[in-house]
Amino acid sequence: MSGQANQSPRDYSAFDVELTHQALNIRLFGRLLKWMHPYRITLGVSIALVLLGATTSVLLPVVTGRVLIDTVLLPSAASDDLPDYGLVDLTHWLADAWSVDLLVAAGVIYIVMHIGHAFLMFLHQLTLVSSALKALRDLRMDLFASLQNKPIAFYDHVAVGRVMTRVSNDVENLFALLTGFGMLMGEFVPFFLALFLMLHISIELTMVVAITLPVAAVGTYAFRMVMSRIFRLIRDSVSSLNQYMQEDLSGIDVVQLSGREALNIDQYGERNKENRHQEFRAINYEVLYENFNNSLASMATAGIVWYGGGSVVQESISLGALVLFTHLINLMVQPVVMLGQQFNVLFRSMASGERIFQAIDWEESIHEPKEPAQLPERLAGEVEFRHVDFGYYADDPILKDVSFRIEPGEKLAIVGPTGSGKSTIIRLLMRFYDFRDDMIFLDGVDVNQINSHELHRRVGVVLQDFHIFSGTVRDNITLGNPDITDERAEWAARVVNAHRFIQQLPAGYDAELGERGKSLSQGQRQLLAFARVLAADPEILVLDEATASIDTATELVIQDALHKLTEGRTSIMIAHRLQTIRECDRILVLHHGVVHEHGTHEELLAKKGIYYTLHELQFQDAEIAKELSGETTLSDVDRVVAITETGWDEADEESLHADPAEPEQPSPLGGEKID
Amino acid sequence: MDHYQKRERSSFKQLGHLARLGTYFNHYAWVLVAAIFGLLLTRILDAIVPLMMKTAIDSLADDAIEPNYTWPAIGILVIVVFRFIIFVFSRRIMRRVSIGVAYDLRKRMFSHIQYQGPTFFNRFSTGDLMSRTINDINMVRMVVSFGWVDMILFVFTISAGLYFMFDLSSELARWVIIPLPVVAVVGFIMARMMFPYYRDQQEAMAEVTNFTQENLNGIRTIKAMSQEEKEVDRFHAVSTNYVKKVYRASRFNAWIALIMPVLSSAAPAVLFLYGGALALRGEITIGTYTAFAAYMWMVIWPIRHIGMTLSMFTGAAAGTQRIFEVLDTEPEVKDGDKAAQPENLRGDLTIKGLSFWHPGAARPTIENVDIEVKAGQTVAILGRVGAGKSTILRAVVRLVNTPRDTVYIDGHDVCDIPLTDLRKLATLVPQDPFLFSTTLRENLTYDLPGRDEAQLWDAAEAAGVAGSIREFPDGMETMVGERGQTLSGGQKQRSTLARGMVRQSPLLLLDDCFSAVDTETEERILSGLARLRSNKTTVLISHRVSTARHADRIYIVDNGHISESGTHDELMELGGYYSDLAAIQSDQDTDHERKTRLLHDLEDEGREVVA
Repeated sequence: MSGQANQSPRDYSAFDVELTHQALNIRLFGRLLKWMHPYRITLGVSIALVLLGATTSVLLPVVTGRVLIDTVLLPSAASDDLPDYGLVDLTHWLADAWSVDLLVAAGVIYIVMHIGHAFLMFLHQLTLVSSALKALRDLRMDLFASLQNKPIAFYDHVAVGRVMTRVSNDVENLFALLTGFGMLMGEFVPFFLALFLMLHISIELTMVVAITLPVAAVGTYAFRMVMSRIFRLIRDSVSSLNQYMQEDLSGIDVVQLSGREALNIDQYGERNKENRHQEFRAINYEVLYENFNNSLASMATAGIVWYGGGSVVQESISLGALVLFTHLINLMVQPVVMLGQQFNVLFRSMASGERIFQAIDWEESIHEPKEPAQLPERLAGEVEFRHVDFGYYADDPILKDVSFRIEPGEKLAIVGPTGSGKSTIIRLLMRFYDFRDDMIFLDGVDVNQINSHELHRRVGVVLQDFHIFSGTVRDNITLGNPDITDERAEWAARVVNAHRFIQQLPAGYDAELGERGKSLSQGQRQLLAFARVLAADPEILVLDEATASIDTATELVIQDALHKLTEGRTSIMIAHRLQTIRECDRILVLHHGVVHEHGTHEELLAKKGIYYTLHELQFQDAEIAKELSGETTLSDVDRVVAITETGWDEADEESLHADPAEPEQPSPLGGEKID
Repeated sequence: MDHYQKRERSSFKQLGHLARLGTYFNHYAWVLVAAIFGLLLTRILDAIVPLMMKTAIDSLADDAIEPNYTWPAIGILVIVVFRFIIFVFSRRIMRRVSIGVAYDLRKRMFSHIQYQGPTFFNRFSTGDLMSRTINDINMVRMVVSFGWVDMILFVFTISAGLYFMFDLSSELARWVIIPLPVVAVVGFIMARMMFPYYRDQQEAMAEVTNFTQENLNGIRTIKAMSQEEKEVDRFHAVSTNYVKKVYRASRFNAWIALIMPVLSSAAPAVLFLYGGALALRGEITIGTYTAFAAYMWMVIWPIRHIGMTLSMFTGAAAGTQRIFEVLDTEPEVKDGDKAAQPENLRGDLTIKGLSFWHPGAARPTIENVDIEVKAGQTVAILGRVGAGKSTILRAVVRLVNTPRDTVYIDGHDVCDIPLTDLRKLATLVPQDPFLFSTTLRENLTYDLPGRDEAQLWDAAEAAGVAGSIREFPDGMETMVGERGQTLSGGQKQRSTLARGMVRQSPLLLLDDCFSAVDTETEERILSGLARLRSNKTTVLISHRVSTARHADRIYIVDNGHISESGTHDELMELGGYYSDLAAIQSDQDTDHERKTRLLHDLEDEGREVVA
């Protein structure tokens, strides 16, 4: 890897844009084929089945019209040259072969076709669903895997919700597309067969039916378009309704304590009204459409009776053909209606497809060394930051010339306000981002030369928002690493004081932890995270202390665990509690990306700088109590509180200047090395 | 889960619950009757069409009869138009009524819930209540808009179809209808069996969604621990399970689509063979045959679907039951008969012999608690997790059903103070820093929108959150929650504190409101509190000695009892829990033995809590 600076900023806004393209994008379907390919045989069988099944559904009215009426009941010369798809011959043949009446033969054909149709559609449904499901599972897996491999920088910019729905909803939409497509195929075969049949019988009569088709198509499409708009409004109103209630329920204590009940009932009522209004709007259209296609078909029937009746009288068509026509109308109208419905699905799933492929196609990764450095079996554990400059954006440096070194086995505490760059130090050490070579070293080896998986094995980290996986307690400690035996997992849990509470769980180490370990308390989760990192036995330990509050009891247990965890191990801790800081050998005070103060606890106290003030405050409650009761001034308290509160912007300068015991300026300290 | 299981067991026995919906229909009664009448009319019109067809076909088939097809064609056309108009009108009424009923039910549910107390919310979780207002009301709505009208129409359509069939040829009809009851019963059974498949599918989908969300939220840990590949494997299992569940549901659907037509095909088969034979013998005409076929399908379609409708009914009946389960629960905390607004209160708080059992609990949460706070004083309550500290504060504002003659404000029993006045008088800031997803301003002035600007900022200042608010680009108008600015735990807590402080009530109750702020900020808040609340009463729960030590009096709650009370100095002198706590927290205790002992105690207690 070259010594290039931080990667150029990328535009992530593409992920925030609603993709609702209304244009057909054929390429998308081409790409889908790649995932359908392994299941092409099942899919092919499914298509064959639906074609066959659809054919029988057209032939059924032919059996009634042409065979039963025209051949068995009312044989007439007028009907001889009309198409019957060989069914009349088949009936004759069957009747001869089994020596039964024509009626019985026709009846057998009718029943077999009736049942055969249902059976073919059954098999079609199974094969179609199975191949579509498998193909989309593969697609979902590929999408998920690609998400796993996106670097942290990606997740810093793209909201989880934005990507998550791609894995769930968008893949579902493609499923609707594929199954809908199968259904459509099943509708269009009868359409063309029926059309062929009708044209053969009488072109004029076919025209009578055909007039209704564009009306049905346009009507359906227009209805769908109007409805999709109203449905969106309904969905919005429903979700606003539900969200309001959900929030109200979550904060019901606050609602009642604030005496807001009546006001909230009004506000909910408004949302309820809006929902009702939109629902009312929707039904105005829905009731119009509900019977629209049926009525069209009935009108076409009237047309056939009127026009076809005349043809029968003139003997240009048979009576059976007329009856057949009235049956075929529905076969003609149905697919047009279906098409109108599928249009929506089509557009929705195209947008989904675009979103899915957008995520899969997004290429972004952390550079891995071509020839990774070979690390010794066990690192000594020396960490060095050498003039580290870093910013997520070129014009916004987060770390400025940060240098420090930690000797093997030493513990370093990093202290500083939010936004000072503490977390960034950890993120760089873990190589979550790309940065210039020759900045960060482990045992003298540039971390850019270390494979990131290798690096993560050597450097164990407990992030502030550490993640508990759903699974058993044991799984959460071993993380599936076969090298960690049950004994070792238990040992690790014992060391960090987690063993006791784990034993109390109904299934002990095999207890299933719910989503994000919700069944555990905050403190228990923290201990579990400690056990996990201890079991992996990393050479270097990095810890971002959780700020979330825990009661004194738990805090004591955690402090004890922390002490055992870091014993004899190179450790970097982002510390929020002075208790934790005092565990460390040395302290680094970071401010605005610059190393501000550092040294041992005693040294920093002697310096009478910021650290000193913080410390004084923490441990001299008695003084403060007096101040609060108004006996002395609040100036000291206010100064330090201002520091922690406002991010030291104004306060630190003031404090540094104001205190004669603290003559040092931040800049000369910034680049100083700790050694 | 429990909810679903109940739904599965729904049976005909529950149909009676639907009667309770009656009151909601009363003011729609006449339009409903009109709508049903209209819909029945459309069915009659439907039934006439095959007769028209029959007339035309018979006239064409028999040379002896004058061909008559123009009038039937015109007849059909007229029927279609009338039918369409009548249908639109009656259907619109039906559906508007169904929406109206859902609207009314929702409104009543929400209003009812607002005034409920903890027993209610212990019984019904948020998710449960949401499910009742969404799913169950929807079920009821479906039944209103389609179900029972369909049922009436089904009965009517089937009887009309049967009537015409028997009228055309009773001989044929007798044979054709034989398989139909079987179809109806099987249809009902299968519709009932469908539910678990859908539920499984939905649950599996939820699993996929949850897994993905969890994974993406924890992506930093996953990457730091190089768990990507294992996560992909785990996801494979989850998504394969989902595929399996969808396949099973689809397969069941396919079975229904196979069995229903196959079973019902017995009827057309009989018609074809027997009817064909009758026609061949000239006992019926071809027109009769086709008309008969039309009536037969008129009967078969509703019979195929009657199972679905019936199962919808039982579902809605169970839904109705669940809705009224909520509506029938009376609020436990209500204004008493004597409730009268007291005037000119100073803020003396007296708790005398307060004991409280959570309903169904074996032991009282708090027992015989006595606390005396003079107006203008600050009192701190400390104690272990679960000792009952919060319950004491909740009893003051009657968030629990406070027993009579135990809690007094300026000598008035809180049970005699109207709830709204009581909660204006005493502001409780709960432990859980809950903010609504709206602007900070709306959150801070939640009780009284449009509060004075200076007052608002003053409270924010005192709560130590003003600095943070000023730093947000939108200031007070900053949206918080899911779609807005993410606040840290401390910022949230300080915001809720500001929300409580802005009310300037004579009595302020703080339930562990400094847990998520660091000690330094806490000090500043305490000074703000001292400034804003001089001469007003404050009771605060804390875990920190540093917070408690400035209080005029400190109470230690242990296992529901007051175990120690006094000033800071007195309690330090006493050498009990408080002084132990002070020792641990100051970290000036070098006695390792003592520390280990404390640690041990705490762990033992932790075990109790887990058990």
